[in-house]
Amino acid sequence: MAKFITIGERLSTTAPAVNKAFLERDEEPILKRAKQQLDAGAVYLDVNIGPAEGYGPDLMKWAVQLLQSHFDNVPLALDTANMAAIEAGISVYNREKGKPIVNSADAGSRIEYLDLAAANDAICIALCNAEGIAKDNDERMGYCQMLLERGMEHGMEAEDMWFDPLFLVVKGMQDKQMQVLEFIKMLSDMGLNSTGGLSNNSNGMPKTIRPIMDSALVAMAMMQGLTSAIVNPNDLRLMETIKSCDVFRGNTLYADSYLEI
Amino acid sequence: MPFTAKSGKFNASIKTVTIGTGDKAITLGGENALPLQSFDAPFANAPKVGIEITDFGMEHEPECIQKYYEGCSTIGEIAKKAASFEGVDFLSFRLEGGDPNGANKSTDELIAMVKEVAEAVDLPLVICGSKNAERDAELLGKAAEAVQGKNALILAAKEENYKTVGAAAGLAYNQVVGAESSVDINLAKQLNVLLSQLGVKPESVVMNVGTAAAGYGYEYVASTMQRVKSAALSQNDAQLQMPIITPVASETWSTKEATQAEADTPEWGDQERRGIDMEVETAAADLACGSDAVILKHPVSVATVSKLIKELV
Amino acid sequence: MALKGLDIFKLSPKKNCKECGSPTCMAFCMKVAQGAADISACPYFSEDAKAQLSEATAPPMKSIKIGTGAEEMVLGGETVMERHEKTFVNKTRYADSLCNCMDEATIEAKLAEVPKVDYDRIGERMYAELIYVNYSAEGSYDYVELVKKAAALGRTLVLGCTDVEVAKAALAVCKDSKPVLNGATPANYADMSAVATEAGVVLGVSGADMNEIYDTVKALEGLGNKNLVIDTTGATVKETFANTVQLRKAAIKDGDRTCGYPSIVNLVKVAKDDLHLQAALAAVFTIKYGSIVVMQEITYSEALPLYGLRQNIFTDPQKPMRVEPGIYALNGADENSICLTTVDFALTYFLVSGELERSGVPVNLIISDAGGLSVLTAWAAGKLSSSSIEKFWKEADIEGKIKNRKLIIPGKVAVLKGEIEAKLPGWEVIIAPREAVELVKFLKDMQANGEA
Repeated sequence: MAKFITIGERLSTTAPAVNKAFLERDEEPILKRAKQQLDAGAVYLDVNIGPAEGYGPDLMKWAVQLLQSHFDNVPLALDTANMAAIEAGISVYNREKGKPIVNSADAGSRIEYLDLAAANDAICIALCNAEGIAKDNDERMGYCQMLLERGMEHGMEAEDMWFDPLFLVVKGMQDKQMQVLEFIKMLSDMGLNSTGGLSNNSNGMPKTIRPIMDSALVAMAMMQGLTSAIVNPNDLRLMETIKSCDVFRGNTLYADSYLEI
Repeated sequence: MPFTAKSGKFNASIKTVTIGTGDKAITLGGENALPLQSFDAPFANAPKVGIEITDFGMEHEPECIQKYYEGCSTIGEIAKKAASFEGVDFLSFRLEGGDPNGANKSTDELIAMVKEVAEAVDLPLVICGSKNAERDAELLGKAAEAVQGKNALILAAKEENYKTVGAAAGLAYNQVVGAESSVDINLAKQLNVLLSQLGVKPESVVMNVGTAAAGYGYEYVASTMQRVKSAALSQNDAQLQMPIITPVASETWSTKEATQAEADTPEWGDQERRGIDMEVETAAADLACGSDAVILKHPVSVATVSKLIKELV
Repeated sequence: MALKGLDIFKLSPKKNCKECGSPTCMAFCMKVAQGAADISACPYFSEDAKAQLSEATAPPMKSIKIGTGAEEMVLGGETVMERHEKTFVNKTRYADSLCNCMDEATIEAKLAEVPKVDYDRIGERMYAELIYVNYSAEGSYDYVELVKKAAALGRTLVLGCTDVEVAKAALAVCKDSKPVLNGATPANYADMSAVATEAGVVLGVSGADMNEIYDTVKALEGLGNKNLVIDTTGATVKETFANTVQLRKAAIKDGDRTCGYPSIVNLVKVAKDDLHLQAALAAVFTIKYGSIVVMQEITYSEALPLYGLRQNIFTDPQKPMRVEPGIYALNGADENSICLTTVDFALTYFLVSGELERSGVPVNLIISDAGGLSVLTAWAAGKLSSSSIEKFWKEADIEGKIKNRKLIIPGKVAVLKGEIEAKLPGWEVIIAPREAVELVKFLKDMQANGEA
C-alpha cells in the first residue's frame, strides 16, 4: 500500500494575505506558506487562485513556476474555476515529482474538468456530487460510475481519478457522517483512489476543537480506505494521526522516530 | 503474440555509498529494481564481494583457509595476500580479539594492527568490531581515527553505541558508518533515523540488517531484507534506502556443516567443499534477498560469488 | 483474488441498454464483482469475455502434480512473490542429473551416489526427490535403459528429451511413476503433447526465448493441454534468471494465466562443471521462483545448506518451525553430563545448539514442548514454566536417563529458578546468560572450574 497523500490547502485565495500576494505577484508570502506546509509533511500543494477570470492563465503559470523552481518541482493541485488557467499551469508544469492534479470535476456542471485532465495526462479530483447534496450513497455511486465511465472513455486510468465523497459539516449534517464514511469503503472496495476536503466536517466549530474532530475523522476515513485528503498540514495533531494510521495500515514501516520523519 | 514483461523498474532507488579512495574505491547501491533483477533496470553498481581476515591472523582459521596464506607471518602480509585473490573488491578486518569475553586484546595492540592492514593494501577497507557493543564504542572510534583519509566502512554502530561510533566514524573522522540491527526491520529504520539526526550524511551509511547461515532461521533474514528493499523502492522510504552489507563468513564458518571433520561424519564428505558451499549458498541467498555487498572468507567462495554476480547482473 | 468491478467493466459491451436491470454497464459490473448479479444476466457479454473472466477468477498459478504414492508432489500453486506477504506453499524440488552422453562407469557411479544423501532435518526428509534424465542424440548409452535404471532409484523422473519417438519409448517404461516429460519445443509441441497426454504425464515446455515459450504454451493450451511446466533455462545464467523471475511475476502480479505454470531451471546447462556456482545458483532459484532446479550433483556438500535454506524459505510465516522435544546429546555428552534446557522454537534451538557446539563442552540439551515459541513469548504465554518443565521431566523420564542433576535454564527466565528447584527436588538450577552468544564463555568457565 502506498502512503496517504496529503494535499496542503493553505495557498488559497480565500485567505486574504494569499489573495493579495497572488494579485500583486508577491513571491515572499506565497513561498513562506508553501515552505511551512512542506516542512510539515505535505506531499502535494493545492494552488487555489479562485475564479481568476481573464488573468487566470498568467497567474497560474507564475504560481506553478514559482513554487516548482523553489521547491524541487513540488507536485501541485491546480485549483480554479478557470479551465484555461489550469491548462496554462500544466503547460509549464514539471512532472518529475508527480502528475499535476486538476481540482476538480464533478458530475454536474464541472464534468468537463475530467476531459481536461484526460487530455493533459493529469490526475483529476472527481467529486461524487452534482447539484446540492447527494441524498444517499446510491446517488453518490451513480455519480462515481458516471465519472469513471467518462474518464475511461477519454483514456484515463482509473487510478488517476481521485474520487471525493464530499465531506459534510457535522454541525447541521451529523446524521450523514456515517454515510460518507461508508461511501469511502465502497470506493476502496472498488480499488479506487479517494480524497476530499476533510476539514469541512469541523466548519463552524471552535478553533480548539477542529484539530480533534479532523484527526478523528481522518483515522476513521483511513480505516475505510481513504487514500488522500486536502488538509492543513500545519495541524500537528492531524499530521501525527495520519502518520500513525499509515503505520497501522502498513503504508510505512514503523520506527521509534516515525513522527520526526 | 510476444511475451510482454511489465517493467519492474521503480521511481525510487537505493542510495549510493562509496567506500575507499582512488582507483580501487567501490560504490554500493544505486539500483532501482529488486535485488539482482538488472533486466528490469540496469544496475549502476553490481553487488561487491569482500574478503575477511581477523586480528588472530591464521590462528583460528581452519586448515583449508590457512593453506592459502602459507608463508604469511604478519597481519600486513596476510592482508596483502587476501587482497590478491581473484574477485576481491574490498578487505574486511575483524577485531575479533577485542571481545572482553574472549581474548580481550588491548586497544593499542588492535589499533596497531588496523594501521598495519591499512598500510599494506590499497583496497577499500571495512573495519568490523568485536561483537561487544560497549568495547566497540571505544575500539571502532579509535579505528576510525587510525584510518583517517581512507574512507573506510566502520562496521558497525548499534542501538547501544550509535552515538559514540556514529559521531567518531561519521562526523569526526569522515568514514562510512555501518548501522547494525539484527533481523529487526523497525530497528534498522530507526538506527538510520538516529544516525541522520546525529548529523551523519545518508550517503555515508550502510546497513547490516543481520544474517544467519542457510538453514539457521534464514527465513527471518530473507523477509527482513526483502521488506527493507520493498519499503525502499515501492514506498520510497528514504530511511531504508541505504545499501546493505552482509558479513557471511563469520556466520557460516561456525556451523557444523563447515566445522565437522570428515573423520566424524565420513558420509558428509570433504570438509572444505562443505564449508565453501555453505558460504556461497548463504551469500547467494543474501544477494537474492537484497545485499549490496557480502563478506566472505574462503578464496574459492570469493571467486565463485564474484562470478555469480558477473553472470547475473 | 476477487475480480474488481473495473476489470469486468473493461470487458463489458458498454451499451447501457438496461436489459440486465441495472441502469448502466458500470453499475452491473460492480454488482457482478460483489456477487450481487450474475454475468449471464447480460445478453451481450461475448463468449470470449466470459472465458476471460472465468480464467481471471482461477488461481494465478496452477498446482501441478507429479510422481505417485509417497513420491507424489505438487509444484507451483503460489500466490505471492515474497514469503512474508503470505506464504510459499510448494517447495522447490531439486533434481540430480544423468545423461545418456555419460559413459557407463560414470552412470553406475552416479546411480550409486544418489541414494547416499538421505537424512532428516526437523521432521522433513531431505533427499534428491527428482532425477533429471537427459537425452542427447549424440549419446551412446541406451536412453531407455538409462531411464529404467534411474527409475529403479524410486525417485520421480524428469525426462529431458525432445525426440518424440525416444520419449514415447522412455515413457513406456516409466509412465506409471508419473514423471515429467520435459520435451515440448516450438518445433514438436503438438506431437510431444500427444505423447504426454497419452501417457498421462506432465509436459515441460522450452524455447529459445520467452516469446517462443509463451507462444508454445498458448498453442498447447489451445490443444487443451494445461498439464504443463515451463523450462525457463536460457542460453546464459542471466537469461535464465530473467525468464524465471519474469514468468512468475507475469503470473502472480499481472495475472497472465499463460505464465501461471511451475518452472524448471536447468543449472547443468548454464553452469556446467562449476559445482560451487551451481550451489550458489540453486540458492538463488530457491528464493526466486525455481519449482524444479536441476543440478549436476547433489552431495551432502550442496544439500546440507540448500535443504536447510529451502526449509526456512518455505516455512509458513504464521507457524514457526519447531524441533522435536527430547534430549539432544551434544559434544559427546552422556548421562553424567550437565543439562541445559530451552524451548522448541527452531531458531532458538539452532542458536543455542550452535553456541553449545562451539563451546565443545559435553551438554545434554533438553528441549521441552513450548508451543514453538521463543523463550520470553513462551514464558509469557505460560508454555514455559516450572510446571511445563516438571511435566516434561516425567513424560520423557529425564531422571531415568540422566544422572547429572545440574540444569542450566535460559537467563531470560531466571525467575523460574526457585519454582523449578521446588518441583524437581535434587536438581541444582543454574542461570545461563541472557544471550546465546555468551554461552561459549559461560560453559568454558564452568568447565574450567570443574562445574561442568
